[in-house]
This record gives sequence, structure tokens and C-alpha cells, in this order.
Amino acid sequence: MTYKQLTEVHLDALREISNVGMGHAATALSQMVGQTIHLHVPKVVLADIADVPDLLGGPEQVVVGITLQVRGDARGNILLVFPLESAERMVSQLLSRDRECGLFDEIGISTVKEVGNILASSYLGAMGSLLNLTLLPSIPLLANDMAGAVIDFLLIELSEEGNQALMIETEFHGSGSDEKLIRGHFFLMPDPASLEVITSAVGGLNDNA
Amino acid sequence: MTTRERVGISEYRTASAPTELVTYGLGSCLGITLYDPGSGVGGLAHTLLPKPKSGMDTSRPTKFVDMSIRLMVEDLVGMGASRERLQAKIFGGANMFAALQEAIGESIGQRNINCAREILDELGIPVAAEDVGGNYGRTLVFSLESGKVTVKSVREGRHETVY
Repeated sequence: MTYKQLTEVHLDALREISNVGMGHAATALSQMVGQTIHLHVPKVVLADIADVPDLLGGPEQVVVGITLQVRGDARGNILLVFPLESAERMVSQLLSRDRECGLFDEIGISTVKEVGNILASSYLGAMGSLLNLTLLPSIPLLANDMAGAVIDFLLIELSEEGNQALMIETEFHGSGSDEKLIRGHFFLMPDPASLEVITSAVGGLNDNA
Repeated sequence: MTTRERVGISEYRTASAPTELVTYGLGSCLGITLYDPGSGVGGLAHTLLPKPKSGMDTSRPTKFVDMSIRLMVEDLVGMGASRERLQAKIFGGANMFAALQEAIGESIGQRNINCAREILDELGIPVAAEDVGGNYGRTLVFSLESGKVTVKSVREGRHETVY
């Protein structure tokens, strides 16, 4: 199955699965940071690889990106993107320390990676039990840099097989005041080879593909 | 007035003075400039992969280092550049995640760098400057007026270096 063969029915199914996964991830994040996390409606975007950095706010936008590989019955990547201030706020709230300490000492980096790990695990756990698939996250990788540079290795991987990226995106934000607001984007990027596994697990949707 | 044209991932552009060509956020991707100082004609490529291997999608040749260099040379000569005067500069090919490299051996960034050097050597095009490797992203602004490339990075404070 290739990205081009995806129908509206498949895209709906992917949105729905992502909704369930993200619901669990948001609950986990709410508990960690002590504020309600609100989810936007998930978007499924089939984009040319050249356009992906623009979907992250522009290639030069400085972000904190965490990536994890999805392993198990289906493969792909998870990408979490936080504006720098949001990542710093999370660290200061989780470690109860001053923002002046800066984010990028070892403990700060581990903390943000751990947030990524917990979000990805709850997302994949919920998605896996819904679809009866085993889905496991790899260890998280983190980079604080221009969005284009943070994600281009994912695009390199995809470009071996085609020119497109499938991104299931959910934007989320917290409920604190402006100085405390945490916001971010969660992306699931399934490999083309795993689409069939996912869509057929959703329930015989392949029959009319 | 100087116009600025953006080069996206997996494409290249050619232009002549006084245009500026710009490409944003190179990580492991490799940016390659070719320039003929005599005619002020040059090109910038934003490539993802070294060269096509069997089973790879080749519907867009410009995502490969080797194809981009060869196609750009042809285009530039067609625009009036002298083949003998062409100079190359290469940028990017970083390894953004140290842990990833340990897992896979030679990083994709390094493979892109090696491929560019090899193809340029084969074509007899000298590498006039390079800023490659490391673990940070780069944005390039290539002035066709001067042939200079300004490299911007943001890791640990903003930096700008001209090559």
C-alpha cells in the first residue's frame, strides 16, 4: 500500500485512532504539569516532503523536537514539537526550578525526553489496545534547533521510497495563564509499508481500497 | 534590487547576479552551491540522499546529491557559465542526534558529504569552501553577486559565518 492509495475512509480512521491515542497522552501530560491539556481536532496531512518544515511553523523556527521510532506490528515515527518557551516552562514546572537555570543542562534534556517518552507510550498504548497491535516507542531523541534541521532525517528516510509524508497531527495547549501556557504539536508519521497493517486493523477497511 | 529565491528540500535553483538563493534549516541534508565567478551564474541544491540505490524512488532526481550536481552543471553551462571556472561549496550533512549515529554507523549526513566530494572530484570541480558535519542546523544565503555563502546557525546562540 502506498500513501496515494489512501481513501477518505482510511483518513477518517487514522484521525479517529489518533484522537483516542492523543486523549490518553493528554491525560498523562495534564497529570504531569498540573494543568488541563486541551486538544485541537486532529489533522491528517499528506504533504510533499519539501513542504513539511512549513507545517511545523517554518524551517527556521527554533523548536524543541523529540522523535521516537514506532516499533512492533507497525512502524513509523512520532514527532513532538514544542516552542522553546513551552519546553522551558515544562522543565521548570516539572523540576520546580527557576527558568533562569536554562533548559539545556543534562537534567532539563532528560526531563523533556521523558515527557516525550510518556506521551508516546500512552498514545501508542491506547492505539495498540484499540487495534490489537503491539506498538512500542524507541528511546527518544531530542534536538533544539531550526525545525527544518530537527526533522530532515525523517524526510530523508521517507524520500528513499517517495516524495510524500503522511502526518497525523494534533495540536495541544494547556490552560494556564499566558506566562505558563504550554503548547505543542504531536505528529504520528506511519511508514507506507505499515499503512496496510493499521488500516486493516481498523476493521476490514482494506476491502474497498 | 536584490531578489531572494527560496530553494526547498529536494530541489535546486539556478540564477544569476544579483539574485540571492536561500535554503533553510539543513540538518543531515546537504546544501551544494556551484558558481562561476566570471559570469555571476550559479546554483544551490538542497539534497537528502547520496545517490540512488536499487529499490529507491527516483521520480525526483534532485533529491540526490549526485544527480543534483550533474543536472546543475548542465543547466549552468546552458546559462552561459564556464564549465572550467565552476567552483563548489558544500554545507550541512550534520548528525543532529548523537545516539542515532551509534546505532547506524556512518551517518547519513556523512554519506552525503562523501558523495558530494566524490562527484565533484570526478567532474573536476574544486571545493572552494565547506562547513559540514557537527550536530546543528544551518541556513544558507548564497549571493550570486559575490559568490559568497552566509551560513546561519542557532545552536547555543545565533551565529553567522561567510564562506
